[in-house]
Formats: sequence, C-alpha cells, structure tokens
Amino acid sequence: MSIALRDKLMLMVAVLLAAVYLFPLYWMYVTALKTGSAMFASPPSFWPSDPQWSIYGSVWESRNVGRYLWNSFVIASGAVSLIVILGTGCAYVLARYRNAWVDVGLFLILMLQVLPASLMITPIFVGFSQLGLLDYPRVAVILAIAAKSMPFFVVLVRAAFMSVPMELEEAALVDGNSRFGAFFHIVLPLARNGILVSAILIFMQAFGEFVYSKSMIQAIEYQPASVGLNSFMGPNTNEWNNIMAYAAMYVTPILAIFVLLQRRIVSGLTSGALK
Amino acid sequence: MRRLLLSIRDGRGFDIGLVSVPLIFLFAMAGLPLIYNIVMSFQEVDMFSLGTFARPFVGFKNYITLFSQPETWPILGNTAIFVVASIAGQFTIGFALALFFWTGFPGSSWLRGLFLVSWVMPGLVVGAIWNWILSGDFGVLNFLLKESGLVAANIFWRSDPNFSLWAVVIANIWLGISFNMILLSVGLSAIPQDLYEAAELDGANVVQRFYTITLPMMRSSIGALVALGLIFTLQQFDLFAAITAGGPNNSSNVAQYWAWDLSFRQYDFAQGATISVIMIVFVMFASVVYVRSTRHEVRG
Repeated sequence: MSIALRDKLMLMVAVLLAAVYLFPLYWMYVTALKTGSAMFASPPSFWPSDPQWSIYGSVWESRNVGRYLWNSFVIASGAVSLIVILGTGCAYVLARYRNAWVDVGLFLILMLQVLPASLMITPIFVGFSQLGLLDYPRVAVILAIAAKSMPFFVVLVRAAFMSVPMELEEAALVDGNSRFGAFFHIVLPLARNGILVSAILIFMQAFGEFVYSKSMIQAIEYQPASVGLNSFMGPNTNEWNNIMAYAAMYVTPILAIFVLLQRRIVSGLTSGALK
Repeated sequence: MRRLLLSIRDGRGFDIGLVSVPLIFLFAMAGLPLIYNIVMSFQEVDMFSLGTFARPFVGFKNYITLFSQPETWPILGNTAIFVVASIAGQFTIGFALALFFWTGFPGSSWLRGLFLVSWVMPGLVVGAIWNWILSGDFGVLNFLLKESGLVAANIFWRSDPNFSLWAVVIANIWLGISFNMILLSVGLSAIPQDLYEAAELDGANVVQRFYTITLPMMRSSIGALVALGLIFTLQQFDLFAAITAGGPNNSSNVAQYWAWDLSFRQYDFAQGATISVIMIVFVMFASVVYVRSTRHEVRG
C-alpha cells in the first residue's frame, strides 16, 4: 500500500470518527429546525426536510434568551477580569523563582483547583448569606467563580511566563528599568498571547457555569443562560425542538470562538494542563 | 514609607505584593469555606440558625445520622460505579483515538483538535442534548440500537432505575474522551522515535512495541491522567442536573449531587456539609496522587 493511499484511508477514517463524535452537536441543530411532529417521527429523519427557521425568533422572544445570555456574559466577564488582574502577577512570581516556597504555593493552588464546586457551594452560600453578599447575587457568583477558576489560570499562565527568557528581563533591569517597568514593558507583552488564550478558556468555562448561579441567584432577571436552560427542561418536557434551539443559541458563540482560535486553544491547553 | 513604596516598585516587595493579594483572595474564597465546611459538619444548622455563627456543636451526630440513613451506602456505591465506569470508558476510547491520530497523516492535528469542542461546551448544553438523545420513546440512541438489533425494546434510560446511572455515565464518557485524548497525545509525542526504530530493527512487532515501549514510557502520563480523571468525574454535577436530577428514587444519585441536593433542596445544610467534608477528603487524596505523579513537571 502506498503512503498516499494510506494517508487518504486514514483521513477518511478520521473524518468518520469525528463525525460520530460530533453527532450530538449535529443532532441539536437538526432537532431545533424540526416541527413538533417531525421531532417525534419514527424512524427519525436525519435531515430537516422542512426547516423551521422561525423557531429561533420565537424562542428568543418567549424565553427571554437575550437577558439570560447578557447575564452569562456579565458574570463571565467579571470573573475573567478579576482572575486576570489577580492571577497574572501570581503566575509571574511562581514562574520566576524556584524554591521551596514556590513549591508550597503551587501545591496549595493545585489543591484548590480540585475542590468540586457542588461541594464548596454549601459553605460559600452560608458564608455569603451571613456577609450579606447574596443581596448582590451576580457579584457573589463572580467571586465564587473567580476563586474556583483562578488556580487553573495561574497554572496555564505560569507555563506562558516560563517560556519568556529570563535574560530579557535581566537585560532590561541592567538598562535601568525598575522591576515594575521590566514587568509591564518587557515580560507582560511577551507573554500576552498565553495570557489571552488562558483568559478565553476561563471565559468559556465561566460562560457555562451552573452550580454557583443556580444556588445563589434566586431572582430570575439575574440568572445566566445555564440556569435558564435548566428551568426550561422540566421532568416531562416535550418541547425538545425549542430546547435545542435555546441550546444552539447558547452554544454557537462559544463554538465560533473555538473554531476561530482552535489551534491556539489546543496548544494553550496542552502546554499547561499537565503541569 | 518611602522605602516601602520603593520596594514595591523595584524590589522584593514587588514580588510579594503580586503573589500575596491573589493568595489572600484565594484563602478567603476557598480556604475559609473549606474550614467553615468542617465546622458546620459538627454543628446543628437549620433555617433559623443560618444567619448566625453561634450554633450548637453536636459532635459527630451529623456523621452518625448520615451513615444511618438507608440511602447513604447505595449513593456512595453509585459514586464509585460512576467514577470507575466513566474513567474506564474515557480512558480506553481516548487512548485508542490518541494512538490512531498519533500515526500522523495530513490533517490529523486539525481533526484531533476538533474533538476538544466538547470540552468548551457548557455542561448544561451537553446534558440537554444527551437528555434528548437518551429519551425513551423518541430518542435517537434507542432508534439506532433497535435498528442494529442490539436491543429488542426501547430502553428508558432516564426513568428506569437500572439504566439511569448509565445514562449519565454515557454522557460523561462522551464529555471526557476529548480531554483524555489530547493529554495522552501530548504524552505520546514526547516518546523518542528512535526507540521504536531500534525495536523494529530487533524484530519487535506492533503489539510488542506497544507493551514494551509505549506503555512504560507513558506511565507517568497515565498516572496523572487517571488521577485527573478522578478529580474531574467527582466534579461532574451539570450532567446530573440536566439528565436525571439523581432520580428515579436516588438510583442515579452520586455524592457530589446529593450534597447539593441536601443543602439546597432539603435545606439540610449540616448534612450537606457533612457529605462535602467526606468527599473533599477523597478528592484531596486523589490530588496528592496527581501532584506527585507530575511533580517533576511542576518543578519545570
């Protein structure tokens, strides 16, 4: 078998595997376009013969999707801003030094990364309600998400800082820069891409966050899209085309970012994930 | 005062300032709740004492109550099944895919990256899609299973107590495959190629090369990945909320969902805190294994 033929065959198998794997996504988009009766047809059709494009408009209106997505956006942006402001400096210091203290710090941060949100929410909720933070539910969720995701960000960005040669910073210091100046003018610009990719990853995670929002945000007008989707899916629902349309509107922006930045996201993840 | 300012601008104070603010934040937002959780598990907490710190201490009463409940052991058993089945499925399929893409052909890295799409999707969306795919009467999975002759009648994935846990396991395996595959690919690409060339010259076949080179060289990656898988599976909450909500009759309930359910559905915060403490000890143990197996990489 020649190399070219082998490559083609492998590529075909790979495309097939990817198609099988991504079938659930495809099924979401197809179901969203089906009519109420086509959805429950047996055998199910794998191609929408009569696509109902108007479903997006009607679900957007009736479920207030715009408001939910806006809340998700506000929560994710707040959490990411807080994480980037606090976490970048932390990652820089942890990357610049190698001693026992750094090891202890890294160990503690890795430990915090593993605490499941659904277990931490009980003390956070009780504590926040005693502090009166629950009167500002979105702020409370932003703080909780920031604490949950910052360790992951620090680990990823630390890897980005490690790839910046220390000699550049030392040269800047010799040339009369202060530590402050060298950090902001030399090191930070060089690590910018790594920080940006990590921030996008954290944003996508925070955009889909559920446990904290579900537990701490009672007022419907502050709830993010994940909680909205959860309350849309009752135990005996049969509006699957509407639910899938909601899910598609929720997930499509994230998928678009992912496809655009795929190469960087994958390399960013793999550079830091095992470290 | 001036010396302090100077130090913050240009000296040790700069590093200490950068690292201490986030650490204080993390301590306040993650460390204190952790301690508070342990304290609450030894207290009597109800809706009336929720707002005060001065609650009566009851010793190990919460723990004793917890283990005298009839549903405790089945739920802990479910958690074990969920973790073991999810990790086994994710790891096997992920490893097979990683080995497949590792052979390298035009477009392989791009297609491999496409799999990661499941990792960035909101958990609730994944849950909603699988909820619909696993639907009893009209679910597409039942249709495919019946057409291929694997089952004779529809399986009611979400409402049959024998299958409800497996419904979540299936969705969780789908979710976790991509992460396993990418991390294993990283490990595979770090194996020096000349080992294989030498083994091939010595006449080792594909299976022998896999068992004598690939597996031993991957040992630390695999150890880290299994520990990481354990950590991530114990964090899985969204799929339970979206697919079965722990039901029917706790048949698909696991500890991390139960803890939340006790606190926020039944308002029994003390019991919720108690089960949280027990599970967090487990997770901490897994993370020590994880950190140990990647320690040489942590030191960089």
